Amino acid sequence: MLTDQTIAGCHINGAGVISPQKTYDNRDFLSELTHYDDNILTCILPNFKDYLNPFQMRRLSRMLRMGLSAATICLREAGLKKPDAIITATGFGFQWDMGKFLTEILEQQEQQLTPTYFMQSTHNALSGLIALFFKCMGYNSTYTSRGFAFETALHDALLLLQEKEAQHVLVGSFDEVYHVQYTDYIRLGYIKREKTNNFRVFQAETEGALQGEGMAFFIMSDQPKPQSWCRLKNLHMVYRPSDYAGLATELIEFLRGNGLAPGDVDVLVNGVSGDIVRDRWNLDLQNNYFDHATAVRFKHLTGEYDTASSFGLWLGAKILKTQIVPQAVLASPVSTHGPLKTALFCNHYLGKYYSFFLLTRE
Amino acid sequence: MNRRVFITGYGVITAIGGNGPENFASLRDRKCGYGRLEFLETRYQDDIYCCEIKLSDEALCRRAGVPTGCGFTRTTLLGLIAIREAIASAGLTDREVRNAGLVSATTAGGIRELEKNFFERQDLQSSGDFLAFMDTVDPGEHMERLAAILGMKRYLATVSTACSSSANALLFGARLLKTGLADCMICGGAEALAKITINGFNALMILDREHCKPFDQNRCGLNLGEGAAYLVLEAEESLKRSGKKAIAELTGYANFNDAFHQTASSPEGAGALKAMRKTLNMAGINPSDVDYINAHGTGTENNDLSEGLALETLFGVNVPPFSSTKPYTGHTTSAAGSVEAAFCLMAFENDVIYPNINFKQPMEELNIRPTTALKTNAGLKNILTNSLGFGGSTTSLLFAKC
Amino acid sequence: MQTQTIEELIPQLKEQILERLVIEGMDPEELDEDMPLFGEVTGLDSIDALELVVMLEKCYGIKITDAKVARKILMTVRTIAEYVYEHREI
Repeated sequence: MLTDQTIAGCHINGAGVISPQKTYDNRDFLSELTHYDDNILTCILPNFKDYLNPFQMRRLSRMLRMGLSAATICLREAGLKKPDAIITATGFGFQWDMGKFLTEILEQQEQQLTPTYFMQSTHNALSGLIALFFKCMGYNSTYTSRGFAFETALHDALLLLQEKEAQHVLVGSFDEVYHVQYTDYIRLGYIKREKTNNFRVFQAETEGALQGEGMAFFIMSDQPKPQSWCRLKNLHMVYRPSDYAGLATELIEFLRGNGLAPGDVDVLVNGVSGDIVRDRWNLDLQNNYFDHATAVRFKHLTGEYDTASSFGLWLGAKILKTQIVPQAVLASPVSTHGPLKTALFCNHYLGKYYSFFLLTRE
Repeated sequence: MNRRVFITGYGVITAIGGNGPENFASLRDRKCGYGRLEFLETRYQDDIYCCEIKLSDEALCRRAGVPTGCGFTRTTLLGLIAIREAIASAGLTDREVRNAGLVSATTAGGIRELEKNFFERQDLQSSGDFLAFMDTVDPGEHMERLAAILGMKRYLATVSTACSSSANALLFGARLLKTGLADCMICGGAEALAKITINGFNALMILDREHCKPFDQNRCGLNLGEGAAYLVLEAEESLKRSGKKAIAELTGYANFNDAFHQTASSPEGAGALKAMRKTLNMAGINPSDVDYINAHGTGTENNDLSEGLALETLFGVNVPPFSSTKPYTGHTTSAAGSVEAAFCLMAFENDVIYPNINFKQPMEELNIRPTTALKTNAGLKNILTNSLGFGGSTTSLLFAKC
Repeated sequence: MQTQTIEELIPQLKEQILERLVIEGMDPEELDEDMPLFGEVTGLDSIDALELVVMLEKCYGIKITDAKVARKILMTVRTIAEYVYEHREI
């Protein structure tokens, strides 16, 4: 699978992230950490009243409140009143609202149903709500390509910038913990059965990840600003590589197409999830090509979900912006000395969806 | 970056036909798919009629060439049938399919199947046939199934923007094609009827208990339908290599947001107006060059007023012939954009303009009215199609005959 | 069936409206019974109207199936109270 090598890339000028760690305050960088013992990691929420009044919040689900808040945090950070375009991504959408509506249908024999649940369960409800909130009539879309949903959204945003259809694109992803999906995933071995403390997930050496959720918004712009986080130079997706060698070749070719070799990477953000079976190739890439770099990982902090790569993007970008590598994410001792200029994020989702993001900072 | 985008094939299945020719015959003969539900259980079976495809899931499995009991959702089955027809109609080889990109749209995905065993699925201890449908709820799942059967890995994406989903899939696919990512993109969408959809639209009070009447003064809602359609988009170089002739070229497209309300369109149709205007600008044509408009025309009070006003503002009183084909197929939600795009291609092939069925009384607010007769030898060169969705989504596509 | 007067229904409806629409942090007394519910001040929309239709069925057994009829009844808290007084089934 190829992504266009002529994409010009973009500048990340703001972010707003709500996750199972305290990340909604951009001034902070993982200084307060939360432990989870039951394999389910749920978001630490900001005070919604900082972003919405009672009438604006009415009937809004938790996810929609989170979405409006994260988008507001992001736009404030970027110094923008509204974006030119809005693109969102999700794997499972608004599961709680879908489930509530379905429960009413089944328990109330299809009578006296709550229209709000249906309306808020459609996957583009958030991108529509943000457009309404900020009065943005520009391009608006939502992608649900499972482990590539966020990547598709990023790709579309890069295209919009390249087509000069927008100067600032708000790109965001969201996924929430939901017991029906979670139960399916335990059955399939994607989520661990054994209760594992999240800070021990990489030592557990068992199949399956932890169930997570999160929301992440970014402003992607065609021009840098003084407060720019970094540049997203390019991205690449590989679906079901036939073998490790094939995956490694895709990675090397991706770097080469961007004028780089593995040795040029200062920081490797590794999307390993603690799933001993499916992490294999990501660990091999790290060991075979990046033992010179500072390696970090994050799915012990967030759990695993379709759009977790958005947190990886945030982590890589924040490391480059602050030049700080938080202790909580280190996967290996800090190796890089001197300024951190190039970060590579290698993600996998369920060992099926592999993606690479290349981030740079001058 | 200015590659042209050609359509070389399409496939479609709806309540009015299992493939392109059957659909066209129904459109020509004014045969609608509106009727009582047979394959979906709901308390509203005698009350809310829909445009259901009169094939059981087992029959769809046979038509799609896949075994039953393997967790193929009805949405995926419809998609598979339509995409296979599209591939055959474009004459793509297996190798060309494997090298193509896929942008597919759905929103309901496997919810229809979830509805049957929602409570048992939540219990880790329970088991049964429903386990075959584990992990099939989300929209992206159908994309994986189609990709697996067709051997596609190059580029995969799923769009879920409710009623404009498959129009947005076509738009995104066209833009991807222009980057040189691939020489061929297969784009479209699929959606099966589900209890959640029927009840959702019913709770929003936008269903007509009778056959819908788009653009009519006495319209009172939409009818739901199900279906799937895919278009094969190819680059010029690909056509030169194969010597194939294209049916049409996608010369213009645009996506805007109404930013007015979560489910309703703005009264003056601002988003739709912007989308149509930009689409024509992109194609480099004037409103007077448009020969036919396949409207979104759901039959709801809100949509038809909003879209109608937008049409009148852009085209004036001399609006080209326009019609909604939703009385035939129902509103196929996520599949509507690509189903109606396929109808536009059929219109070119047969040089026909479809009638807006059930229209009797013009809307008070509009000076324009839809076309009610089937027009043959229509001399079609440019066709515009609109898809407007929940969340304020407004997308327009313009096709030029080749 | 309860026999409340319109004046008794008004404060009860205010609470039910705020609850159904999940408007948190607002005292029911702050809601003026003669203020247009769907006007500029509150910004309630057509979905809120549908939610109130469901609430009226659940709490008072009143079935409203026509969106146009619903709009007339839901103009203010007082017009709702008057309709409930006349048409309640429970």
